[in-house]
Amino acid sequence: MITPRELDNLANLARIKLTDADKVSLIKEFDSILGYVDQLKKVEVSLDAEGRVGSLRNVTRPDEVANTSPEDRERLLNEAPDREGDFIAVKKIIEQ
Amino acid sequence: MKINLKDLTIVKAHKHLKNGDFTAVELTKAYLDEIEKKNNGINAYLEVFDDALEMAKKADQKIKELKIARPSSDKTSVSRQEFSELLGIPCAIKDNILIKGKIVSAASKILENYHSTYDATVIARLVKAGAVFLGRTNMDEFAMGGSTENSAFGVTKNPHDLSRVAGGSSGGSAAAVAMDGALFSLGSDTGGSIRQPASFCGVVGLKPTYGAVSRYGVMAMGSSLDQIGPMAKTVEDCEIVFNVINGRDAKDGTTVEEVRNPKPEILGKLEIQKSKSKNSTQEANSKSDKPKIGVPRHFLGGDGIDKDVLVAFEKSLDSLKKKGYEVVDIKLPNISYSLPTYYIIMPAEVSSNLARFDGVKYGLHVDGKDAIQDYFETRRAGFGREVIRRILLGTYVLSSGYYDAYYNRANAVRKMITNDFIKAFESVDVIATPTAPSPAFRIGEKTNNPLSMYLEDIFTVTANLTGLPALSIPCGDSRRDGKSLPIGFQLTAKHGEENTLFEVGKDFEK
Repeated sequence: MITPRELDNLANLARIKLTDADKVSLIKEFDSILGYVDQLKKVEVSLDAEGRVGSLRNVTRPDEVANTSPEDRERLLNEAPDREGDFIAVKKIIEQ
Repeated sequence: MKINLKDLTIVKAHKHLKNGDFTAVELTKAYLDEIEKKNNGINAYLEVFDDALEMAKKADQKIKELKIARPSSDKTSVSRQEFSELLGIPCAIKDNILIKGKIVSAASKILENYHSTYDATVIARLVKAGAVFLGRTNMDEFAMGGSTENSAFGVTKNPHDLSRVAGGSSGGSAAAVAMDGALFSLGSDTGGSIRQPASFCGVVGLKPTYGAVSRYGVMAMGSSLDQIGPMAKTVEDCEIVFNVINGRDAKDGTTVEEVRNPKPEILGKLEIQKSKSKNSTQEANSKSDKPKIGVPRHFLGGDGIDKDVLVAFEKSLDSLKKKGYEVVDIKLPNISYSLPTYYIIMPAEVSSNLARFDGVKYGLHVDGKDAIQDYFETRRAGFGREVIRRILLGTYVLSSGYYDAYYNRANAVRKMITNDFIKAFESVDVIATPTAPSPAFRIGEKTNNPLSMYLEDIFTVTANLTGLPALSIPCGDSRRDGKSLPIGFQLTAKHGEENTLFEVGKDFEK
């Protein structure tokens, strides 16, 4: 059972605003989903968790700068909600 | 020549284009007309591209050049190679795959007006082959869901019954092919998102081996689970598309060399030797030159599985047996833990991957009272309910105090499940199960109960957890409310053995 305080903490970590109505339904849904995945606690785990899908191997590439064309830069900057010249504009975070 | 979209396949269209029976422009026009007629009701496409005909024109130009070039060279094999089977073939692309300059939204408000700044590797490969992009298809937001009901832009309806879902998350891609609105489509599959909608819409869908197809330029959901794959009307068509899109890509470090396997004939012969040494029954000699099929019967008995699905499944096994396949029972001791394992690992990866949507670099921005509150407001306004739910679940299973109990444990169980499969593949070549536990359900039927929606993935998540390739093929139907709903049959093979899936699949279709 997840508490409203825990849920607040998660929302804060995930940077998502939740309304009180959201919280009521999320707590219910979390209970049902966590109740289901909790069956994993029954498994006798005989392996370490280091396994990954596929074979592990080193993947290297030349250490070269790619995508440097002015057109690429322009396209990327144009997708930003707010830009000033060649910079993405954000709100001031340090008080004077 | 009049174009009959209903019976058309890539193989047939390719032949007609080659013979000059129709042009790529005529073919593309035929599809655009069909989309115009049907898409309002079905909502498979979020956008039809205005340059589709231009792409078709280019394809026609290329076809013309090839035809002029061919007579001069005796080596037909060379020109055959150049005349790609996808040249001039119209297709649909899931809305989470980047096409340079086009909007790509993942069916989310947060990316509603986002334009791709580059081509995904799969797109670059299709362009090189000469395929024509008709448009981008609807999906569950960020590929999270099994019904396309989580799209911010409306549900995709099942072409077989408009009151039912097309499945998901690649519901638009499946419906586009099923409604004769494209010859093939690309989808993405994190827990069944290609195979389940293929099953619901009566088309063929392939989730390739993890690493077979580059994920560069495809929006990440669960990075250790995601794969891109084709959906089409026949197994052979899927094979053609797979052969174009698979292969190593320097831009995706998890990709492996192009999949070129020993033919099943060879595997079959090995199997004969094995079975002869084990038990030399009289039947074995004629039977075992085909891949051996294993069925995890202990996993098919649950009460959540529709009766019609089981009937169609048994019929499919019978038909394979009649074709000379040996079908045996196998045990996958930990398979029942697949779904809970998946619903820990997937949200964990989702919560990390979707952290990039911050309202600063791209996409939606909603103003808060300061820079931090901008994040909270933007993500709240931009993400739908299911996406928020999974981000929070993922944050929970990764958070301090729960990490070992959930995430670490799930990773260990994932390894156990993978080992079960590898062991099972010592005695069989292919594993068969139903694709989904039911035919297409009604729109709205499961929206209020996330867990019941999650249970839809029971047979499909294993291929993503283990990285194995899996194929869904239509195998029958179920009569509901006077409508005929398709049912899918799923085959899973060893890593890198898509060819075995194609061989058995083609045989099954006959």
